[in-house]
Amino acid sequence: MSEKSRLRSVVNIFLKEVGIGVVLLVLVVAFSLGAPRFFSIINVANIFTQISINTVIAVGMTFVILLGGIDLSVGSVLALCSIIAGKILVNPELSFGMAIVLSVLVSVVSGMLIGLINGFISETWKIHSFIVTLGMLNIARGLALQISQSRTIFNFPKAFNDFGTTTYFGVLPAIFLIALILVILGSIILRNTVFGRMIFAIGNNEESVRLSGHNVKFYKILAYTICGGTVGIATIMYMLRMSIASPILGVGFELNAIAAVVIGGTSMSGGKGSLVGTFLGASIMGVLNNGLLLIGMGDFARQIVTGVIIILAVILDTYRTRFSAMLND
Amino acid sequence: MKKYLILLVCLLIMIPAFVTANGAQEEKEDGKPVVGLIMKSLANEFFMAMEEGAKAYAEEDGTFELMTMGMNSETDFDSQVNAVDSLITQGVDLIVLAPADSAGMVAPVKRAIDAGVTVINFDVTLDKEALKAAGLPEEFLFVGPDNTDGAEMVGNYLGETLGSGGKVFIIEGNPGADNAKQRKNGFMKAVENHNLELLASNTAHWETEEANTLMTNLLTKHPDVQGVMCANDSMALGVVRALEAAGRSDVQVVGFDNIPAVKDLIMNDKMLATVHMDGAEMAILAFNAGFEILDGKRENLGWVQSPLILADKDFFK
Repeated sequence: MSEKSRLRSVVNIFLKEVGIGVVLLVLVVAFSLGAPRFFSIINVANIFTQISINTVIAVGMTFVILLGGIDLSVGSVLALCSIIAGKILVNPELSFGMAIVLSVLVSVVSGMLIGLINGFISETWKIHSFIVTLGMLNIARGLALQISQSRTIFNFPKAFNDFGTTTYFGVLPAIFLIALILVILGSIILRNTVFGRMIFAIGNNEESVRLSGHNVKFYKILAYTICGGTVGIATIMYMLRMSIASPILGVGFELNAIAAVVIGGTSMSGGKGSLVGTFLGASIMGVLNNGLLLIGMGDFARQIVTGVIIILAVILDTYRTRFSAMLND
Repeated sequence: MKKYLILLVCLLIMIPAFVTANGAQEEKEDGKPVVGLIMKSLANEFFMAMEEGAKAYAEEDGTFELMTMGMNSETDFDSQVNAVDSLITQGVDLIVLAPADSAGMVAPVKRAIDAGVTVINFDVTLDKEALKAAGLPEEFLFVGPDNTDGAEMVGNYLGETLGSGGKVFIIEGNPGADNAKQRKNGFMKAVENHNLELLASNTAHWETEEANTLMTNLLTKHPDVQGVMCANDSMALGVVRALEAAGRSDVQVVGFDNIPAVKDLIMNDKMLATVHMDGAEMAILAFNAGFEILDGKRENLGWVQSPLILADKDFFK
């Protein structure tokens, strides 16, 4: 390998994986200069906590968007899973350990089941997932309200609540560790397994994958099921963090998750993207929300600036893609 | 042949419409007035409790027929318009309405009044400008709480606890909502009454998680805070949880609404107080004001105040 091509591949990798990280770095430096308490251990830990739930939902969403699909039902499914898991958690007939194991299990399985239904309907009748999951958004919210009779569930076991506010070494919140593990696990699946490579292949050219004899339907339904499963995990994280379960929580979560995925450089038409990018995207949103408040910006201005930066980050990303394509020519 | 088939199907579809229209008519022939109660979102525990209370009252009272309608969300203003129109069509005597949109609901209210239905506005006031523009009196009867007073009451309680110079945050509701503005104004009065120092006032859009994030970030900015006034209890839940996570048991929190989840927090000293508002009682006041108007004993003008009670530890004992 010549000196030049080695340099080229280093630049390439840098652009591909860390491109959006530059935006994050700029924001962090700017806020550190502008707000004295921004770059403190406690604030960093707070930001970690605040991005955890969105990160986990966005991990599942990345799988679906990589296929060129979308899942709009995640926020409502979160509410539904929280009601089911919450009812189990406060059930006095179950022992503490049993209640926790069951509620986690049931939450994840319920999420996966709904994801499976989303994927199955979308694939069997060839209906775009936008419509199927929009329907599911209403079904899950309605079910959550029906089952709970629109009542908030509270009084979780103390040990459960305590774990929700645990922070290791002063800077690593327990729920952030869960998010981190899922990002790493998801990355390994996407990069190193047949299933993961299939996701990219289907996102790029579904027809050719089908013609080469692969079961496209199976892989696609599996992706939706994984997305539902991550929502089930995010549900438990929400309950840990807020110590309540409610049928009205999670409104608009789908938009935050989609924003994190897209800021992270995943293409809405599928086939291109990474979970590291998604994690950076979620981090940018969390840092913005935290930093803008700490420098003392008002509510309305904060909303405007957040919108502008989301668009700028994605514009920047198109240049990065073009530049990296130019290098490869 | 095909045409007749289509006609037959059309007729079959219309049968339920005839049946329901007749149903409403028959009820009227009983001599009992028919009341339509239109609420906001039944996803809100407050309206859920109101519906249950109102139904129980109607059954016990027995002098009127009650139909209740709730919306999908707080801002589902379209289906509220449809609900008013369908109640007019069914010929009810009285519509009791909690508007999802203060200005937007004036037009359907006007339609109902023109059709001879008495309308009682409760919970949230109709917009005065819009009432005037529609040719209705600005002082259109309103049955509901004085949100400003309630917020000032609980704010004063916090002020007395902290003493003069106490440092506080205000966590606001949705910036567009009238009751959010009124509650903020009430909190501001309490800030003035007790010479409190207002460190920050931001919105968390009535939501638990958003309030939790906001509170955590505000704590970083102003660690010296001593008290927090929340425009509703859902947000207070998020604030209390943020304080727990930060290990701060020295900060006093007050809320508004008295949802079931705050009782334990107040009893365990995690929250100082909230404002108790009885939805069913408010609806019943509105029914009775409506019957007085139907009997010609009252004009459809003015303000019937529904009570707000300070709910601290003593309230729950």
